[in-house]
Amino acid sequence: MKKLVAAALAGSLLLTACSGNSGGSDAVEKYGSDTLKLYNWGEYMGEDLISNFEREYGVKVIVEYFDSNEMMYTKLQAGDSYDVLVPSDYMIERLMKEGMLQELDLSLIPNLPNLADGVKNLPYDPDNSYSVPYFWGNVGIVYNHNNVDPAVVEAQGYEVLRNTDYKGRIYIYDSERDSFMMALKALGYSMNTENPQEIQAAYEWLLEMNNTMDPVYVTDEVIDGMANGGKDIAVVYSGDAAYILDQNPDMSYWLPSEGTNLWSDAMVIPANAENPKLAHEFINYVLTYDASYSNSEYVGYASSNQEVLENLSGPGGYYEGNAAYLPRSGYEKDEVFVDNPTLKKTLSDLWIKVKAAK
Amino acid sequence: MKQFRSMVYPYVGWIAAMIVLPMLLILLYAFTTPGNDVATFRFTLDNFSRFFSDSVFLAVLQRSLLIAVLTTIICVLLGYPIAYTIARGSEKSSMFWVLMITMPTWINMMVRTYAWVGILQDDGLVNSLLGLLGLGPIKMMYTTFAVVLGMVYNFIPFMILQIHTSLTKMDKSYLEAAADLGADRMQSFLRITLPLSLPGVLSGITLVFLPAVSSFFIPKLLGGGQYVLIGNVIETQFLTSGDWNFGSAISLIMAVIIMLSMYITRKVDTDPATNGKGD
Repeated sequence: MKKLVAAALAGSLLLTACSGNSGGSDAVEKYGSDTLKLYNWGEYMGEDLISNFEREYGVKVIVEYFDSNEMMYTKLQAGDSYDVLVPSDYMIERLMKEGMLQELDLSLIPNLPNLADGVKNLPYDPDNSYSVPYFWGNVGIVYNHNNVDPAVVEAQGYEVLRNTDYKGRIYIYDSERDSFMMALKALGYSMNTENPQEIQAAYEWLLEMNNTMDPVYVTDEVIDGMANGGKDIAVVYSGDAAYILDQNPDMSYWLPSEGTNLWSDAMVIPANAENPKLAHEFINYVLTYDASYSNSEYVGYASSNQEVLENLSGPGGYYEGNAAYLPRSGYEKDEVFVDNPTLKKTLSDLWIKVKAAK
Repeated sequence: MKQFRSMVYPYVGWIAAMIVLPMLLILLYAFTTPGNDVATFRFTLDNFSRFFSDSVFLAVLQRSLLIAVLTTIICVLLGYPIAYTIARGSEKSSMFWVLMITMPTWINMMVRTYAWVGILQDDGLVNSLLGLLGLGPIKMMYTTFAVVLGMVYNFIPFMILQIHTSLTKMDKSYLEAAADLGADRMQSFLRITLPLSLPGVLSGITLVFLPAVSSFFIPKLLGGGQYVLIGNVIETQFLTSGDWNFGSAISLIMAVIIMLSMYITRKVDTDPATNGKGD
């Protein structure tokens, strides 16, 4: 996936250079400025998303990347100005609460009805007043079905990550939210719990995992690691899992019956955006069939466009038969993260203690 | 000289803005409670008692110091002979080797450390070569070995350059005098070269120990996150927990430890018994 970033980066640089003097003045007339500042996750855009947008609208896009919602939030608080951001559900909730977003003018986003059923009426912003979904998915277990019996994974769910038969053969995602989600779900609790006993139990669950399983803690390295068969089991975001399954036929995907984190990342316009008009145009563009299709096909995350989703996962589609591409919807044990800064801090402190324990 | 006095002001301004102000902010954060706005500070020692009352943090501190000391020792043991050999060569070859040693530091440290992942991993370069010889794969990634190796690799140029500089500055006539007085090579090394190069070794130690003890990137990448060092704890406090107060307190504790070790180093440095003038 690192190659994707490099390619996307090179592509956007090249096209920024090319489109610099083409039709800029029309765009200035129409939007007030011909530059869009986009702040998105790394490894999260199709290789021609930006270049096509620049060509079609005669504008320049400056892209910056973040690797966690918290990093993005810190930069935003420092006063940096962007036109479009792509944070996750709970972070959008926080930004809305703190008045850091501007309300969308939905008349400028005529493609909104294209939204996939799974990302309509999301709890944090049911009317899309502030946000328009970009990608969505869940979190599941990727495992090598040659070395790990599928029946064991399906019977044990997250508990397989504490099965000492697989000691030294697991990756754990290095983030307190994802690891506590796994532990809380394994114990049958809500991942948004504030009950100290449940959190303590999850802490002990993770501590035992750390002390007995010899896990390797990774973030984006998990993608290449599993694609190369570096380990046998990992808990992975669905879009990355779709990519891993696409690259390595030995890998399978399993969504534990204990439930998982159903998440979505959505495009928002910060209150201090300099070019909100062009920002609306970009959001509308991402929802078009063509843009969304190549974006989703390239990255592996589930499209927010219903038709694209059906075509990519359906018969003859690129992700036909890829268990990780199409997110499970309507399962009652799946939950969405709720913004809770106090809980996050507690979990973050516990998580560093888990990792430091041995 | 007086007319050049005013040229110091920009430097003073720079120090104030880039060193003193951030240090004061860390000090302020370390002794206050989270969540208070600028107008009302509530001073507290909670951040410090939280650190010292938790065995996990103390274990992390101990581990960080241990790895940093180990790194420093290896850097001295490897760096000294290298610097000595370089300094003994002709000026031209000496310049060449110094260039070779500095060259890797032109590349971003993150990229260089990433390269080690490719070399050390289970199906990496070393294990492929071992495989050709029929030797089984050795697990090197995510071990103490990988972390220490990464640190030594990144920090040893500072050691070599410091020692090299002090060796080349040395007045060669001392050695000639020693030879005249009948000292053999071993004696003149132990009684002249070594003592005279000690200041270089000591500043090399400081330059290696400081980044090693606070490094958070190398343990994260080569230690697979299992080797949580004090730098990682500080990083987490600032980037994910958002607890700047606790993070500042740990930074301050580290600063005190570092200042103490520098004080001790300087003490050794100025001690006449060790710099050869006492004999």
